Amino acid sequence: MFKKAWLLFINTFSISMTANSGYAMLGVIKNRFVDKYGWFTKEEMEDYIALAQSCPGPIACSSTMIIGYQACGFIGAFASVLGVLIPPFVMMVIVTYFYTFISTNTYVRIFIDGMQAGVCAMLLDVVLGLFKGVMKMNDIFYYIMVVFCFLFVRLTKISIFYLALLCIAVAVIKTFMIRKKVEENA
Amino acid sequence: MISLLDIFLNFLKIGLFAFGGAYAVIPLIEEQMVTNTGWMSFSEFSDLVAIDELTPGPIIVNSSTFIGMKLGGVPGAIVATLACVIPGAIIALTLVRLYSKYKEIPVINEAMRILKCMSVALIFSVLIKMFLSAVFPSGIEVFSDVDILSLVMVIASFFALKRFKLNPLLVMLTCGTVRLLLSLIR
Repeated sequence: MFKKAWLLFINTFSISMTANSGYAMLGVIKNRFVDKYGWFTKEEMEDYIALAQSCPGPIACSSTMIIGYQACGFIGAFASVLGVLIPPFVMMVIVTYFYTFISTNTYVRIFIDGMQAGVCAMLLDVVLGLFKGVMKMNDIFYYIMVVFCFLFVRLTKISIFYLALLCIAVAVIKTFMIRKKVEENA
Repeated sequence: MISLLDIFLNFLKIGLFAFGGAYAVIPLIEEQMVTNTGWMSFSEFSDLVAIDELTPGPIIVNSSTFIGMKLGGVPGAIVATLACVIPGAIIALTLVRLYSKYKEIPVINEAMRILKCMSVALIFSVLIKMFLSAVFPSGIEVFSDVDILSLVMVIASFFALKRFKLNPLLVMLTCGTVRLLLSLIR
């Protein structure tokens, strides 16, 4: 059991060190634990990843945690999430340390301000990508939700945490209504 | 001095609501750190988004480590990073125990779809703020003080990302370098 936990730790650690996005990690994780170790079947792995996508927080953490738990219980979950977290944590501690020292330097400041243009473009690309996902849902209801959420956040001062709760409530009501309709038709 | 407990609770909240992909957490951080607590200025937040893009690792982990470190040193960073993954951990382990074989859960799927709509709207809203602060450094009221270089770089970067599929990292570093070089020439 401890050997498995140790394997989980070193694998997630090495994957987390080299992969630069959550989704890139998933491919490598699949590859290691399905093909190399044979701990799970391909179908099981897909189920875990689908499950991980329904969890808040980074997909890298939730997916490896589920895998670790399925492999050897809580110790496995703990070992794998620690493995995922340590590399970005150490790196960011170092980055922040340097940032606090150099961010007041005039030239560094100009450089970072210049990068903001690239950040805006990148975010616009992200928004368009996400919006394409909404378009794929192919239902006017979701367009209305996008517009509603946008107006909510621009026009009211209410915290977006309440907006998230409201969205979840809408989801519950909508599912309930669809089920009722199906039952009535049956 | 901000207590570790404060840091913990704030990141627990962010971790709990960070549904729907890597970028969904950006508006939550802006809301909680800039608007609600005032622990960061908007320009620090913009820097953080740029740093998130420059560094590998999940955005939410990198951001919490960065902010935790700024607020309370290494202990702050540890507390913030752990807090942001705890809600996801609890939910992931609960789901995997309830559904040892993942079945379609209509409510959760619906909620994820609606939350995706929300994150499109929220990220777009943050993008507008960042764009305005990059292009109108003295505020939107001072319309004459438009930063044309920024505007041109945003458009050029967007084309570089969309048309030529350039690496976002490269695009951002180029923006920073261009700005720095032009300021040195002047």
